[in-house]
Amino acid sequence: MSLTIKDYNSTNTPTWCPGCGNFALHASLKKALVELNISPSELFMSFDIGCNGNGADKINVYGFKGLHGRSIPLAVGAHLANRRFTVIADIGDGACFHEGIDHLIHAVKANYNITILIHNNQNFALTTGQATVSTQEEKPMYGLPKGRPERSLNVSKFILSLDPSFYARGTSTDPLQLSEIIKSGIENNGCSVIEVIQICPKYNKDFSPEWAIQNIKKTDSLENYNNLSLKNATEILDNSSIYTGIIYRNNTLKSFYERVHNRKDTLTELVDEVKIQDTAHLLKYFE
Amino acid sequence: MSKKRISIKFAGASGQGINTTGLLLAKALNKEGYKIFAYREYPSLITGGTASYQLDVSNSQINSSSRYSDILLCFTAESLDKYFDNIKENGILVYDFKNYSFSQEQETVLLKKNITKIYIDSKSIATDAGGTEIMSNVVMLGFLWKILTLETDILIDVVLDFLKNKNIDLEAEKNAILAGYNSPSYRPELSKKFDLPQTDMFSQKSLIMTGNHGISLGAVAGGVRAYYAYPMTPATSIFKFLGDTSEETKILVKQAENEITAVQMAMGSMYMGTRALVGTSGGGFDLMIETISCAGISETPLVIFLSQRTGAGTGLPTWTGAGDLNTAVKGGHGDFPRCVIATSDAISGYTLIQEAFNIAETYQIPVIVLSEKQISESLFSVKSLPKESEIMRGLSEGENRYELTESGISPRWVPSKEKKPYIHNSDEHTEDGTSTEESNDTLLMAEKRMRKLSLLEEHLPEPKLYGKSTPEVLFVGWGSVKNTVLDVIEDRNDISYLHYEYVHPLKTKTLEDFIEKGTRIVLLENNQTGQFGSLITQETGYIFKERLLKYDGRPFFVEDILDFLNN
Ligand SMILES: Cc1ncc(C[n+]2csc(CCOP(=O)(O)OP(=O)(O)O)c2C)c(N)n1
Ligand SMILES: [Mg+2]
Repeated sequence: MSLTIKDYNSTNTPTWCPGCGNFALHASLKKALVELNISPSELFMSFDIGCNGNGADKINVYGFKGLHGRSIPLAVGAHLANRRFTVIADIGDGACFHEGIDHLIHAVKANYNITILIHNNQNFALTTGQATVSTQEEKPMYGLPKGRPERSLNVSKFILSLDPSFYARGTSTDPLQLSEIIKSGIENNGCSVIEVIQICPKYNKDFSPEWAIQNIKKTDSLENYNNLSLKNATEILDNSSIYTGIIYRNNTLKSFYERVHNRKDTLTELVDEVKIQDTAHLLKYFE
Repeated sequence: MSKKRISIKFAGASGQGINTTGLLLAKALNKEGYKIFAYREYPSLITGGTASYQLDVSNSQINSSSRYSDILLCFTAESLDKYFDNIKENGILVYDFKNYSFSQEQETVLLKKNITKIYIDSKSIATDAGGTEIMSNVVMLGFLWKILTLETDILIDVVLDFLKNKNIDLEAEKNAILAGYNSPSYRPELSKKFDLPQTDMFSQKSLIMTGNHGISLGAVAGGVRAYYAYPMTPATSIFKFLGDTSEETKILVKQAENEITAVQMAMGSMYMGTRALVGTSGGGFDLMIETISCAGISETPLVIFLSQRTGAGTGLPTWTGAGDLNTAVKGGHGDFPRCVIATSDAISGYTLIQEAFNIAETYQIPVIVLSEKQISESLFSVKSLPKESEIMRGLSEGENRYELTESGISPRWVPSKEKKPYIHNSDEHTEDGTSTEESNDTLLMAEKRMRKLSLLEEHLPEPKLYGKSTPEVLFVGWGSVKNTVLDVIEDRNDISYLHYEYVHPLKTKTLEDFIEKGTRIVLLENNQTGQFGSLITQETGYIFKERLLKYDGRPFFVEDILDFLNN
């Protein structure tokens, strides 16, 4: 029997604000999973704390809603234990670029075969709209009537500087494209970073569907755009327009597990190996 | 102290190979049939400072150090100055640096305590024998061997075997040992200054291992398949052993970017159904505490190994202590069940780490396994390892992951393609894992979780009593203090010791019986405030009238207990 979107629906009603980008994001994700034929019992998702994480009990998969900023290492632990599962770390921009920014850097460098899905609504939404490092600099935010006195982080350039095996950008205003991006990200063998520019009707009113139509362009529309080229990727990120699509891939990288020497010839997963193990062969070190 | 024991200490600068020399001595004496206990002191720097390696030696099991050395062998003037006062009456001082002038005060002490001092030019002896100056260490070993009146075969075998893959001139090494052994500085009276017990050469040889080795072996035996850690003394050597042997065990050993990562990875791996261990020390443990609370509410099995060192903050990073009990038992926001287990030596580490995983999985709770630098890095003689514990995982299938049950334990199954998916949730949740903020849901789930603690408490054993049930004095303690107190009271039937391995939840029946009888009870702890005593007070209302606490970074030496008893 083939899968349908319904298989991923939980019985809980979403609690997001009307018009929230998380609706489109979840729909795109479920569509991608159906098309990749990954059943709810073959997927592990870690969820962060935030409006994004409030989706944890709205999708029927093996999941873990853990701590703020920690969905990446939690997902990595799950991935390392059982590679038969597809693993997605779901996370907000506050969690990803503030509380747990260390994890993003190391996950990309280790190149674990997981997908990191960043809900970038350009603010800490669940705590009612504080500035994140991707909020526009002068924009008045919670407790900051004159805006944030720090510089912004260009998250795209930052991610690109880590030389990821896959970096794509989608938007909640184009769920079909986003779904295709998520499919490619999951299929990529390595750490796939997907940044979703996301509508937040409450705290990021500047970013509206109308604005998106006028200002967001697709890499597909560019002639000769080659996402294997770091030069191409850098050029469009320097451009004043926002581009979506698969921005960059490095297909020369091995994934983490492929580089773990002692597990190379092992056919089982760590979850298959929990049994009493003989230690007699180790006692020679203690004579 | 009626047990025959002597103590030998090497002292010098960090980076001078003190640790290796001590280890070689331990290995050789072990092969000679002795029981040993090896204790290291070293500063938190790589080269310089003063480091020492003390071996207490006996012909029966021995698990602690004397404050004093029968034989002190020094490689630097600083180390001689530092340990001079700790040479035993009638002891021997060997040193290998020229031009050291003993002060008038020191000379008086030497005379008064009848200590013999011997200068040996070990560097020249090494080079004359065709070796290099670094071989002065084995020259000293050779000389020591002569003093101990042992034959050189075993020592040479041990040294050459240890160095065989290290691109070192083994012939020169051997000659250096022999040259030390045959040094003219030796005088037969030296060998009469102490009483080295006889060994039975034909008895079964022990293994020698540290507490961290015990933990590592127990982890392997108990089906741990991943180890995640960030470097921090005194837990780091687990990373080394499991890493160095990972080609044999196929365990995944991963250095994480920080402690939060390590513990999150472990939690993710445990959720998926393997066994993963994390190891850390004080500050690293503090970073893990939010995750412990998360494991508590989400009912994810988790095992954290916490090896303690001295003090708050960075404290004395390479010295021992047992001051992290409060944070292990109480750290973390909110109320949730957990278990805290304290190891005391290599064998208890081996056994208890396996129990920790069984408890974590069966009760679906975080379990913290405590050690101390004194346990983690000291070498113990181990006759043989106990049989592996049966693996108990408490797995079962059901409709709802957080089903409200009478025992408090809900069905938990290993995620797999064939089974129903479920969510673990750090939000308060209903039976199917859905987030909730309702009053009734909250009460039901919080109470379900806490029922597991009562159940666990019922199943845990009472603390172990060493000695008779009507002693003059009853010591009560946990962790490494056991080793010292047992070495001291082995042959005294007037003193007993009550040892806690399971420090939380707390069993109090045995202790309360003693309290009721009016027994003289003394709390023994390696921390400043008597943290365990406070936990007991909290549970029983009993306030300790006598407390022997030590918190200067040093373990309890046998004399600390003896002095207390004699005063
Ligand atoms: C350790 C910790 N610090 C702070 C919080 C409070 N907190 C909850 S959600 C959130 C902001 C989330 O922002 P983001 O990650 O961007 O997610 P969004 O709500 O925008 O989807 C914060 C700071 C927390 N739960 N845990
Ligand atoms: Mg956000």
